Amino acid sequence: MSKPARTSRRSGIRGGEAASGWLFTAPMIILLGMFLVIPVLMALWVSFSDWGGRGSPFGGNVKFVGFDNYSTLLSGGGLAEQDFGTALRNNAWYVVLVVPIQTALSLLLAVLVNRQILRGRGFFRTSFYFPSVTSSVAITVLWLFLFSSTGAVNKLLSFIGITGPNWFNDPSGILHNFLQLFGVTQGPAALTDGSFLGVSWWDWLAGPSVAMTAFILMAVFTTSGTFMLLFIAALQNLSGEVTEAAMMDGANGWQRFWKVTLPQLRPTLFTVLTLGLIGSWQVFDQIYTGTKGAPGKTTLTPAFLSYQSAFNNQEWGQGAAIAFILFVIIVFFTLFQRWVLRERSVSNRRMRPYLSVANGATANVVAASALTGAGSGSPGTDSPGSGSDPDSHAPDTTGGTR
Amino acid sequence: MTATVSTKTPTPPSPSRRLRSLSRPQLPTRAVAGRSLMYAILTVLAIIYIAPFLVQVATSFKTDVEAASNPISLIPQTWSTAAYEKLFLNSDFPVWFKNSAIVTIFVTLGRVFFNSLAGYALARLQFRGRTVIFAGLIAVMSVPGVVLLIPKFLVINQIGIYDTYVGMIVPLLTDAAGVFIMKNFFESIPASVEEQARIDGAGTFRVFWSIVLPMARPALITIVILSFQGSWNELSHFIVATQSPELTTLTKGVASLASGELSQGTQYPLKLAAAAIMTIPVAVMFFIFQKRIMNTTDGAVKE
Amino acid sequence: MQRRTSRWMIGAGLTMAGALALTGCSSSFGGTTSGSTGSAGDLTSDSSKTLTVLIGSSGDAETKAVNAAVASWSSSSGTKATVSVASDLNQQLAQGFAAKKPADVFYLSTDALAGYASNGSLLAYGDSLANKDDFYPSLVKSFTYDGQFYCAPKDFSTLGLVINTDAWAKAGLTDADIPTTWDQLETVAKKLTTPDQVGLAIGGEYARAGAFMAQAGGNLMNEDSSKATANSAEAVAGLTEVKKLLNDGVLKYAKDVGAGWGGEAFGKQLSAMTIEGNWITGAMSSDYPSVKYTIAELPAGPAGKGTMQFTNCWGIATDSPNQAAALKLVEQLTSKDSQLAFSTAFGPMPSIKSAASDWKAANPVLVPFLNGADYAVGTPTAKGAADVVTELNSKLESLKTGDPQQILDAAQKNLEALLK
Repeated sequence: MSKPARTSRRSGIRGGEAASGWLFTAPMIILLGMFLVIPVLMALWVSFSDWGGRGSPFGGNVKFVGFDNYSTLLSGGGLAEQDFGTALRNNAWYVVLVVPIQTALSLLLAVLVNRQILRGRGFFRTSFYFPSVTSSVAITVLWLFLFSSTGAVNKLLSFIGITGPNWFNDPSGILHNFLQLFGVTQGPAALTDGSFLGVSWWDWLAGPSVAMTAFILMAVFTTSGTFMLLFIAALQNLSGEVTEAAMMDGANGWQRFWKVTLPQLRPTLFTVLTLGLIGSWQVFDQIYTGTKGAPGKTTLTPAFLSYQSAFNNQEWGQGAAIAFILFVIIVFFTLFQRWVLRERSVSNRRMRPYLSVANGATANVVAASALTGAGSGSPGTDSPGSGSDPDSHAPDTTGGTR
Repeated sequence: MTATVSTKTPTPPSPSRRLRSLSRPQLPTRAVAGRSLMYAILTVLAIIYIAPFLVQVATSFKTDVEAASNPISLIPQTWSTAAYEKLFLNSDFPVWFKNSAIVTIFVTLGRVFFNSLAGYALARLQFRGRTVIFAGLIAVMSVPGVVLLIPKFLVINQIGIYDTYVGMIVPLLTDAAGVFIMKNFFESIPASVEEQARIDGAGTFRVFWSIVLPMARPALITIVILSFQGSWNELSHFIVATQSPELTTLTKGVASLASGELSQGTQYPLKLAAAAIMTIPVAVMFFIFQKRIMNTTDGAVKE
Repeated sequence: MQRRTSRWMIGAGLTMAGALALTGCSSSFGGTTSGSTGSAGDLTSDSSKTLTVLIGSSGDAETKAVNAAVASWSSSSGTKATVSVASDLNQQLAQGFAAKKPADVFYLSTDALAGYASNGSLLAYGDSLANKDDFYPSLVKSFTYDGQFYCAPKDFSTLGLVINTDAWAKAGLTDADIPTTWDQLETVAKKLTTPDQVGLAIGGEYARAGAFMAQAGGNLMNEDSSKATANSAEAVAGLTEVKKLLNDGVLKYAKDVGAGWGGEAFGKQLSAMTIEGNWITGAMSSDYPSVKYTIAELPAGPAGKGTMQFTNCWGIATDSPNQAAALKLVEQLTSKDSQLAFSTAFGPMPSIKSAASDWKAANPVLVPFLNGADYAVGTPTAKGAADVVTELNSKLESLKTGDPQQILDAAQKNLEALLK
């Protein structure tokens, strides 16, 4: 939102600009208003109503029920609360594992591929990026095959003497499985007795199920390429002088990376983390295509639960309420992330040169987050946007502010 | 054109590296070892990233039995095109493909036009309310897509375009992020050219259409890539916007194949063939515009 | 900043007004008149529109058979009708109802009945059917909601005991040994269990284990799903028997022997017996043609014989413009001739008593399945019960180490919550 500089400079000569301005933006305003703003308001109403899914939600016999739908989900004590708790747990583990792994992996790929001396750079970059362009539906179909009980992954595991699990049919949590190795099959009473959202603390700590783990691997596989491009763009905008100075000081490659490169990459790191967080809270396509929440509800996610409650169980109010709670969760994390970003970059004066890049990156977060949004969080849909703009536009934005 | 390629060229590190290797003669052997290690790691990673797709294509030519008994081999023992025959001759697959193509074409054209129109207005035109619109745009961008699943259905249904091409296409015709990208782009190009045209008396639309738009080619390509990929791969919107089999798109159709409601048994070759075919258009798009997508690196690292 | 905020507020206000305007005009065409819910007293009969029939098909055979039946009705009645196959039946139904453009006639599962009946989407036409008294009473109960018989059962399936005859002979068993009690079942299962074949394998879910509950005289809910009975002594006894068999090592869940369902475990000869429905015959002939098998009724428990039944009905939409014709179509589709034709084409059992003898004559091997109709119990139909069953299923996976009483107490609590 930094454009006033230009306005003052050129004013005057045109009179009909207001009309054309509104005319030019009208299609966008109408379309976004109609299919984004109004829908959200309608759904907000539905989340406070007892609409049952027949005819219009504004019909005469649809009643306002206050926070009933929300309280059923958050403190109803029934299955709805338990399902919601389960879905949150599943997705939380998904986020906890996907975000750090995809960030670390994409950074690693970027660093490796960015070497000047590397031959076949283009080939490697293309291979790593390719999974990102495919649709989440296609990739899920592939994954169902690779991770089926007789699939390629289990076949590979069998070569090294491991009997692979029946991935998409195994509801056991991987942390529970790990504890089982040490003979722990029952949690301590302190954990099994207490519960939150209808799910016992012990079950909250189950870890992602084996089935969900397969989805986690898939998310890492499909998103690391996209984020790799973001990191490559950032690496190439780094100031060479600092690196060179460090080299003169005799710092080795590893030290250089930790002490010099990584701090400079911080803005991009934040971008990637934020995008990852936003995207991985919206798991829908994969679940819809693949498991529909099975086995044992361990791949149920809030997004899919919202859809299922409304379209399959006729609980439209609850479905809409789940969507809004999810909205709040995502907004919370986005704001939290931004707050962290702002704090750091202002406090550290040495980061000044990169502040501009950070601004570009912030704009990019917004753009790409909307993209992930429009693609409903499918890992494949947002790719080139987040990949290709930072390089083409981030520098432009900075140019504008100078 | 200039603006997009203007990525700062980092100081080429080669001189310093040469310098270092001169000062420490023992380094080359270590460097060779390190380099081979790096190539080894990269090769393994590349195999992991590519192999699934090779397995996919290979399996689509296998028989059901072989797909289960021999899931990794890249060459089928008995070549079978049964999956493809079934898809093209005995299923709705061609209809799905057609629908996806129709939607993608219209959405891409629509986004290119409407996004650049709005982006231009927000970047260059002075009018009351611009700030409000822009603030609204930012707000709208922060709405996560899954939240819209139920509400989109409600609106589409309410205004009577449910289960029609209109309902599939129109809601996707513009996207906030695209407008944002175009706005950023227009702000980055110098205003002098259009100023001149304006002084010569050209109307706003004319200036936009014949002067500004041609200059915006790089950004437009970004929009084309984004829209093409976005609408081709879109699933949730079509789930809530249609129900007729005649309006099923590839994503929706293949998803229903995957969950097995149309088929008996596992039928992996069939499913993988369907998934492979639906990947082809985006893959082609990807290879055509590969330079552009990757231009970060290619533009900056000319040695 | 201040100024921008206030402007933004105005913008939001405008959009809000737009939304209100939209809702305003909606009521003119969206105003629900749900007074018509249920009673089929006066049916709509706008014959200008083509009837649409929405089915969830198991495959080409089913699609073809339904198409043929509908086309023949169409040509004899003069009313146009088309069949479409849903890719996701539940979702398409839900969207159709909400859009007020539902299919006229459609497949409807027992667990979806309550949801659509309660919001008025379904026409309760059961009592207007000419062949109403011909349906098996237990099936009619499955499609009765709130005291009203909503829709005509399309067909049904029950569970039977499927036995691998080679393994049976190898264990030295004869026809006389076919188990009729739990004790006998345990005995033969033990004899049939070898290092590479378990005696009995079943899917680890309520839809199989529930048969034991039925044999003990219990079920999750009472017959018309108006009361939860999940933790009754009978239901617990049934589940305890399953647990016992599991712990004896003579019963295993299909998944634990590496199969997706009972039929696969049986077909791959990982188990000598399984408990499955009549659909298993299709899988056996297409996937495992070399395995020889016979079918017996399930053994009796403390409360006598018991099995589970699964069924779908032909739903008719309240919003259908031509309910009268839809009703006629359903009568035709549930007639003896149509049902026998369906059965030949894709295997389910006719839902009417008058077709029983013909069907038994045509399918001598499958008679035990149809005999089950006399004592079969249905799955609970209360709104939301399907979710409770899913939840129960996930607990049943660990039945071997779990406590049947505890598992069913949880189900009881969840079912009671549905009835509030």
